[in-house]
Amino acid sequence: MVSQRDRDLFRDDVRSRGTKLSAAEREKILRPYLPDPSDISRRPTQRRKKAPRKTPIRTFLKSQLHQFTYTLIHIFFGLYVRIVQAYHALVDRILAIIYYHHRTPELIRKDVKNLDRLPEHLSVVLSMRREDDALAILMDDVAELAAWCMSAGIPVLSVYEKSGILKSCIPPLHQTITNKLSSYYDSSRQPALQLFAPHHPVYNPSSDSERTQSSAPGSGSLTVLLLSATDGRETFVDLTKTLAEMSQNGKLSPEDITMELVDAEISEITTQPSQAAAALSDDNSNDQSSIESPGVSIKPEPDLLLVFGSFLKLDGYPPWHIRLTEMFCTGDKISNISGCGEAVEYQGFIRGLWHYAGAQMRFGR
Amino acid sequence: MATSMHLSRLRKWIVASPPIEFAISKLRDLLVGAIRQGPVPQHVAFVMDGNRRFARSHRIETVEGHNLGFEALARILEVSYRSGVKVVTIYAFSIENFKRSKFEVDALMEMARVKLGQLAQHGDILDRYGAQVRVLGRMDLLRPDVHAAFTKAVEMTSRNGNCVLNICFPYTSRDEITGAVRDTVAEYSTPLQPVHASTGSVRSPFSESHIALKIQAQSQSPPEPQATAAEDTPSDIESGSESSTRGEVEDDHPSSPPGKVYEGTGSSFSSSTTLHLAEAKAAAAAGGNSDNDNDNDNNTSGKFQSPETITSQTISDHLYTKGNPPLDLLIRTSGVERLSDFMLWQGNENTEIVFLDVMWPEFDLWHFLPVLLRWQRRISKQKVNPEAEGDFEGDSTPEQQKQQSPSSTDDVPSDDMLLHNDAKLKGL
Repeated sequence: MVSQRDRDLFRDDVRSRGTKLSAAEREKILRPYLPDPSDISRRPTQRRKKAPRKTPIRTFLKSQLHQFTYTLIHIFFGLYVRIVQAYHALVDRILAIIYYHHRTPELIRKDVKNLDRLPEHLSVVLSMRREDDALAILMDDVAELAAWCMSAGIPVLSVYEKSGILKSCIPPLHQTITNKLSSYYDSSRQPALQLFAPHHPVYNPSSDSERTQSSAPGSGSLTVLLLSATDGRETFVDLTKTLAEMSQNGKLSPEDITMELVDAEISEITTQPSQAAAALSDDNSNDQSSIESPGVSIKPEPDLLLVFGSFLKLDGYPPWHIRLTEMFCTGDKISNISGCGEAVEYQGFIRGLWHYAGAQMRFGR
Repeated sequence: MATSMHLSRLRKWIVASPPIEFAISKLRDLLVGAIRQGPVPQHVAFVMDGNRRFARSHRIETVEGHNLGFEALARILEVSYRSGVKVVTIYAFSIENFKRSKFEVDALMEMARVKLGQLAQHGDILDRYGAQVRVLGRMDLLRPDVHAAFTKAVEMTSRNGNCVLNICFPYTSRDEITGAVRDTVAEYSTPLQPVHASTGSVRSPFSESHIALKIQAQSQSPPEPQATAAEDTPSDIESGSESSTRGEVEDDHPSSPPGKVYEGTGSSFSSSTTLHLAEAKAAAAAGGNSDNDNDNDNNTSGKFQSPETITSQTISDHLYTKGNPPLDLLIRTSGVERLSDFMLWQGNENTEIVFLDVMWPEFDLWHFLPVLLRWQRRISKQKVNPEAEGDFEGDSTPEQQKQQSPSSTDDVPSDDMLLHNDAKLKGL
């Protein structure tokens, strides 16, 4: 803590662009604030092996005092956290009562109607719970989110789940979402749904005639993208491998690697799911996917990232595209440290959207 | 309005009075000393946002706001290093910030130059306290005089150990990642020194037959990443086969993993022959390709590191933050909840990201303390109950998670235990 007098001296110096004080004068100001050099046991080479301290009792008492303060602070902080937690839980329940979707798209639309802006691409970070039916719960959560996005008018939803288990069960997931949507919408105006993951073809089991019938005018459409940890750093590793290979063969010089190139390559993986992957893995590709593929083009950068968890941790989320993404954590700011992911609830979703609408956007200016 | 101004002046006067000042500084010492007792994040990053908004709301000049921001930085660095943080990374200037008004950019540059110039005058103090300054970012975009000041400061402190201050000066994370990819590629496309067979076998600590076996195993179960590789380089394969002299390469190439091909490139290296003996058919293809590659490079004895050895660690090691501990805490002030191209790679694993609704010039121990306490609470709870969420390893498979299910709910008992321990300590 710098005293007022020294601070004024320092600010005078700053105003004159560091010309007022000489180096020696500055050191004189600084010296009282520096810790005793002997306290700093730096450089193991100058090992003084616990040279007898000048004041052993005082040092001991000091460390005891610090230990005591530490425990005291944490007791009080813990109490504070519990109180805040209880308060938030209460607010959360109240919000849950006031804002409930009742599986009616109109109600959801009413909730988001007054918002200044909506994300075009919403991304959510989910985590597996530890119950036995964790996968079923996870799929149900994704389905709920898809229905809410559809109703709110958000065209793209990407779901990040670290282990990538969702990618391995795309057909049942599609079924779950379709069932969920049919509980929100009449069968007459069932919206169109596209579900895909990087390196996987677009999954769309319904035949063409059925699809055109189902995507009735005005009901909108939704694209769901499934992401996992392998789409994060691993993608860069793969890209680097390929580039290194090309460079070794003399087809590319390292100077050719620009941000635009990397951006194009990385974006391609999340936005264009189909052709290459389908061509490569013959057993996976089916006719629908190759027909469907040209239609998919989504904005690679999510506008809003909702983390359903107790604190904001990206947990391996693909790093490239979250440059300007607003982040929102549904958990309390302070509480709920243990336990895994929070329940995916409607009020968390709607709070995230409010938050997004309130935030202002500035691009580095 | 007038009363509030008088009140704030009175408050300032009281805070600035020597006894109160002394008491506050003692309190800070106590708190910092207390923080030291628990686990402390090793690497903390700050986005120093809000200087301009602070200046605007307090009706002072923007440059003045930046000066106050520098004071806040000094305060926070003091708190961080004294509480045991090893590396502090600050986002001082983004490449995007060059778009700001010339006046402001110049003022910021001038400030950086003056501060670092002053820093360089205190060489002995820096030596004694062992702080190391590093600059992360595109130094080539800077003015020559600023560049010189930075280089000098970095040079002077490069031998110091203990604490590191990373200044991200013209920095964006995308640029950093691109640079890392580029450097990795450059490193992997520099031919290794031509090795004579005799010295090579002496030098290499690896068993060649073992490697050959490994490669065979790999080729039987080709790894998943192949999909990307093939997807990205259709033209690569075509052009390769065009220039090749043997027709059979064309057929064999898509099915053989690239690792094999690169093992074969060094004809002087004896491992390739072992491999060829083991897999006669693939060897023909690999051999053909290796001739081909060597022709392309005009360097018949050159051998490359295999790109298959690239991992995410390799890329991490080519980032500006190489050698630093993983990022534990990322704090952004001013209430903006975006990363703004900062530490995208470093911050995407186990970093706790905190957005604070306070302008950077006001940021102080009092805002930092709750963040640190929360972090300590989480970490110490993990130690008591390592299965709880947010563990360092991070990648627990679903099966593991299922096994962990009994312990996931006992939040309250563990907390009680913590309190109990604390009570015992207090009793002591």
